[in-house]
Amino acid sequence: MLRHYLTMTIAVLKRRPFYTAISLFGISFTLLVLMVVTAMADHALAPMAPESRQDRMLGVVSARMFGPDNAWSSNGGYMLFDKHARNLPGVEELTIFSSWQTVSTYLGDQRITSNIKRTDGAFWRVFDFTFLEGSPYSQADVDEARFVAVLTRATREKLFSGQPALGKTFEADGQTFRVVGVVENVPDIRIVPYADFYVPTTTSKSDAYKREIMGGFIAVALARTTDDLPKIREEFNARLTRITLPDKSYTTLVAPFETKYDTIARESPFADRQSPDRQGPKLTLLLVILALLFVTLPTVNLVNVNISRILERASEIGVRKAFGAPMRTLVAQFVVENVFLTLLGGALGLVLSAFVLRALNQSGFIAHSAFTINARVFAYAVLLAIGFGLISGVYPAWRMARLRPVEALKGGPSR
Amino acid sequence: MTRHLVRLIWNRKRQNLLLTIEILCSFLVLFVVILIGLNFSVNASKTLGFDTDRVWSVDVGRPPSPNARADEAAAKAAEARERETFQRLLVAARELPQIEIAAVAFTAPYINASWESGLELADGRKIDYLYNRVGDDFTRVFSMPIEAGRGFSREDDAAAADPVLINVELARKVFGNANPVGQVIPQKFDKAQKPADPPQRKKRVVGVIEDFRQHGKYSMPQPVLIDRLRLDVEDGGRAERIVIRLKPGTTASFEPVLVRRLQREAADWSFEVSTMEHLKERKHSDYIMPLTVLAILAGFLLLMVTLGLTGVVWQSVIQRLREFGLRRAAGASGRSVRGQVMAEMAVMTTFAVLAGVLLVGQLPFLPLPEDLVIPGGVFAAAIALSAAAIYCLTLACGWYPSRLAARMPPAEALRYE
Repeated sequence: MLRHYLTMTIAVLKRRPFYTAISLFGISFTLLVLMVVTAMADHALAPMAPESRQDRMLGVVSARMFGPDNAWSSNGGYMLFDKHARNLPGVEELTIFSSWQTVSTYLGDQRITSNIKRTDGAFWRVFDFTFLEGSPYSQADVDEARFVAVLTRATREKLFSGQPALGKTFEADGQTFRVVGVVENVPDIRIVPYADFYVPTTTSKSDAYKREIMGGFIAVALARTTDDLPKIREEFNARLTRITLPDKSYTTLVAPFETKYDTIARESPFADRQSPDRQGPKLTLLLVILALLFVTLPTVNLVNVNISRILERASEIGVRKAFGAPMRTLVAQFVVENVFLTLLGGALGLVLSAFVLRALNQSGFIAHSAFTINARVFAYAVLLAIGFGLISGVYPAWRMARLRPVEALKGGPSR
Repeated sequence: MTRHLVRLIWNRKRQNLLLTIEILCSFLVLFVVILIGLNFSVNASKTLGFDTDRVWSVDVGRPPSPNARADEAAAKAAEARERETFQRLLVAARELPQIEIAAVAFTAPYINASWESGLELADGRKIDYLYNRVGDDFTRVFSMPIEAGRGFSREDDAAAADPVLINVELARKVFGNANPVGQVIPQKFDKAQKPADPPQRKKRVVGVIEDFRQHGKYSMPQPVLIDRLRLDVEDGGRAERIVIRLKPGTTASFEPVLVRRLQREAADWSFEVSTMEHLKERKHSDYIMPLTVLAILAGFLLLMVTLGLTGVVWQSVIQRLREFGLRRAAGASGRSVRGQVMAEMAVMTTFAVLAGVLLVGQLPFLPLPEDLVIPGGVFAAAIALSAAAIYCLTLACGWYPSRLAARMPPAEALRYE
């Protein structure tokens, strides 16, 4: 039966190349946009080096204090994590590191701007960086405040023209560091581990950060198993309620351990930033609404084109109805035809989106990005195409099936 | 004739409703892009109020200071030391031969840090404005045209009321047509103030600047109020950066020299130099990038609609060839048949545009923040432009199919299968 439908579909599509072309154009463009967005989201959110163990990770990226008249939003402070986030149940490893800061290096007349992260030793055990040269610095290096640094490949390119950099020194923000390792680039949409080079926390120009509750630091906990994640979140939230805040004008501190998606959701519009609860579901709802808004126009367009095509085939439908084809068969036939068409358009969109993504990667629009169509994105693309095919096929199919045989044979409905 | 047309459209209401919805959606998409684009170009034609030629900004980073509410004495002492260091930095910068003028500031043009504030006037009106706090010479660094009065100077040291600079828009809002220079802003002071709050002080206007559109030429003009930043007194305001204007001919190689000189004065502070040119580009792309992405998407959507509508009209013309043939046989000219197809298109577009105007007409009634409110003229122009564009688009879609209808000889049309 399905084979029969498909043969029919191809025959119909070939008969009116103009309609087929405009349908395919609309479908492939719509799916192209959705696929590019999906591939970008996948690149930002899916587990991959250096966050391969992301499914066991929870992080505190933002911290907020609220009072009756005041709100203060920033990162957490070093002391908040050092004093209160250690020894959480189920945590295999906790790392505390700075959010990135911009620093300048001068090579003769040339200025090189880099994003720098100051980290502890555990950072290198929680995140699995790929080392091209050397190795990470250890906790001992951090404790002794040694001026050592791990560069990314792109930074080695800029500072040492791509030559092996191990043991060489460079200056940044008036401090001199010795290179102990070089790692593969991290795209800057991987906001948590991204930086151009990494140095020990203790190389900060002043140690005032050690006494801060708010400002400049991120903590990431690697749980033993995924089952430990809720426990970690709850325990830290409970500990936060017991902290006496240094500033009396604030009464609550919201800094929950969250997955990456929930962290991003917390910054999105409509999120309840005062609540330590997960904000992910709200963002999902928002994204679904936006996607539906975006596909409204393409759907209406495709429905209109489809109805035109049906009316054109009115006499065929009339004959089939006159010979007793049930409504169900006709609806199924048309929906299958439409899904087949959207899958075809989807395939076209997929090929086009590969080109668009490559252009995006080369434009440097997002630093060090490597957007690709992987198996996961492909699966989403197929789902999107089928969904779009169903949405835009059902109404025209219903219209078609309702045609009365006599009218249909006459060449379409009078009204 | 019109009634007849409407009846013809009504007879095919289901399909025409879907077409009208499609045209309505296209109108909304076009409207959004045109509104944003038009608003940017209107804003870009207004005065900026400063000139960033040869200006650099040195972002000053310092270690966190003790919390004032936790340990007041320590916080005060640390603040005094910071101010002293800042003064030394400013003196060091001014002594460098490559620097023409230098000033301290809270924020500067094209920098992301901005401060919005508001004041309540004695007559109960509330005015929101963009706030900044700058040292003497700031207006000279940015060659800011001063409409009336003067910039900040040492004359203001002993003033009883806080000296402020305001822009023309704020001056007009507060003082109307009266000369604002030397006047105190008629603020309503809160009588039930808590003792912990900072004392409320009078603000006296010392000068009126043309404007200070911190976020660049695409941003909405808004009221601006600038306070005087002082490093020699307590509560003189927090400086975040030093802005400098270089002597002509100074190259980028001066940058490391400057940073090393400043670093000598404050070893545990950080300095981040950016050229205004670079900051400007980045700020402008914050506005232009989203618009470009939106415009590209809208362009493709409209191309899709154009093709789709053409296909649909074509199909319906072919389906109605017999009807047209009959009209031709009864003596109607090819032109009048063509006119009928185009007029049907125009009537549907009119319905769609009316619905669209009704929808977007709700926007001005939404409680939007003041800097998002788009002036009525721009709003009306955007509606008119997008309506015109939609008429052009739908009529273009009807052009070829209607020609087909008009060209077909009546005899052939009547027996067309």
